[in-house]
Amino acid sequence: MRRDMTINLVIFGLLVATAIGAHLMGEGFTVTLATKAAIFGLAGVGLNLALGYGGLVSFGHAAFFGIGGYVTGIFASHAASGQPILTLPFTLAGSNEMLGIWPMAMVAAGLAALVIGALSLRTTGVYFIMVTLAFAQMLFYFAISWPRYGGEDGLSFYVRNTFPGLNTFDPIQYFAICATLLGLALLFTAVVTQSRFGLALQAARQNSQRTVAVGIRPYGIRLTAFVLSGMIVGLAGALYADLNRFVSPAMLSWHMSGEIMVFVILGGVGRLCGPVAGAAIFILLEHLLGGVSDYWQALLGLLLLAIVLFAPGGLIGIVTGSRRHA
Amino acid sequence: MHEPILELTGLRKSFGALVATDDVSLTLRPGEIHALIGPNGAGKSTLIRQITGEIRPDQGSIRFEGQVIDGLDAAARARLGLARSFQVSSVIPDFTVLQNVMLAVAGASGNAFGLLRPALSDHRLTEPAAFHIEQAGLSGRAGVKAAELAHGERRKLEIAMALALRPRAFLLDEPMAGMGLEGGRQLTAILSDLRTEAPILLVEHDMDAVFALADRISVLVYGRIIATGTVDEIRANPEVRRSYLGEAA
Repeated sequence: MRRDMTINLVIFGLLVATAIGAHLMGEGFTVTLATKAAIFGLAGVGLNLALGYGGLVSFGHAAFFGIGGYVTGIFASHAASGQPILTLPFTLAGSNEMLGIWPMAMVAAGLAALVIGALSLRTTGVYFIMVTLAFAQMLFYFAISWPRYGGEDGLSFYVRNTFPGLNTFDPIQYFAICATLLGLALLFTAVVTQSRFGLALQAARQNSQRTVAVGIRPYGIRLTAFVLSGMIVGLAGALYADLNRFVSPAMLSWHMSGEIMVFVILGGVGRLCGPVAGAAIFILLEHLLGGVSDYWQALLGLLLLAIVLFAPGGLIGIVTGSRRHA
Repeated sequence: MHEPILELTGLRKSFGALVATDDVSLTLRPGEIHALIGPNGAGKSTLIRQITGEIRPDQGSIRFEGQVIDGLDAAARARLGLARSFQVSSVIPDFTVLQNVMLAVAGASGNAFGLLRPALSDHRLTEPAAFHIEQAGLSGRAGVKAAELAHGERRKLEIAMALALRPRAFLLDEPMAGMGLEGGRQLTAILSDLRTEAPILLVEHDMDAVFALADRISVLVYGRIIATGTVDEIRANPEVRRSYLGEAA
């Protein structure tokens, strides 16, 4: 337990130290890579709540990532054009305030997770995987065929959204925002998984019949976890859109769902900081190997295979030497 | 004559052509241990699962403390105090003994949604849990992972979890299964004490335990109850001897 805490602090500390070090050496690009790792890590932390702690293998979390991204893009583009997003039933103006956009992104992603979760949680196993995938693909094709916000080409916005008192264009300041939100999400996950709710969620993963026999309905518990998970991933999507100042249907595609899952599996399923380590390794490999060969993902595949076969606890499991903890 | 705690009336359940439960009526009275015996495949587990709400009977009705519970799901029945144990020990393997029992306390309280308060420092969970762990004879094992418990200890853990539900009735599905001689003796003593908490419907193959514990016995054969009575009545019943007890009695 204590050892796990140390590892979590080390992982998070390394990420922050990398960004600060790169900033001091004037390596703006590396700061941006660290920011990307923080954002992907945040998405992984969100998925981990459902997948790791709840045992809900969702192959559709790109839906929430993309929704967060599109909410950000849509608000920003309307802020730039001055046209309201909605006039009926109420007037909703665009915005370029992150503090206003984030709650919108999280609420939108949370609502989508509520609908998708309510339907897909009636299935289990491979059917659950397929149903979540199907919902995400529906949104993907919807985004492609909706010309208003760029369709297949995606939607660019030229100015990064603003945060009071900070210059969000400065890479290290934007990193600080993303890392703070990642830290808060980790804290939230740590608290929630130790609570009554966390106890029930993890019990339902391990033995659903027994959980029912003590008077707890797994469905409501799992749906709550799924919605919280979707909201965190939605926030990550909002940050990712702002990082690139661009959203496209790719954020909603099943590749994205798979990548988020890879962060979790690489780092360690059901480990607090596992997805952060997984995302950082992923970005590092992409950066180092991507320059060597366009086929770097084949090597990533080998690494994943090795992890799944020989170290099911992921990278964190290798360090702590244990497979999983409750 | 007391009102029965649990009353089954005309339960019937079939799977295709197989009638697993055929017009079963039985009662569980306050303070008694009512054993349900019968050969393998007689439909004992199917009957238990209809009482817990895991499967629905095709016909018939179940009353629990005077209330018809046919419309309630398994979780709701558990919260009313219908506590069960499983034929194969069923606990949360990665949880400690304490966490397992805390889960049952949380379930019984009807509040499993506290998101922010750490469960391990919530005395409303830990105190009752510690009490029931001691009651079930697992003192000093609270911090051990359930997966690392010996078979007999896991049985006791199940009993602690059942106790945490503040049970009004126990449904124990073969609690003696797989217990050694000494473990079986210990468990018999624990079950005998449990009766003071709430009446027990006991499904059991171990005839020594059944004859030692039961106030009444019902014999289930091919889904039908062929006899109900005291230990002596059942021992003496010719039909029971022929169809089930055979040379064992």
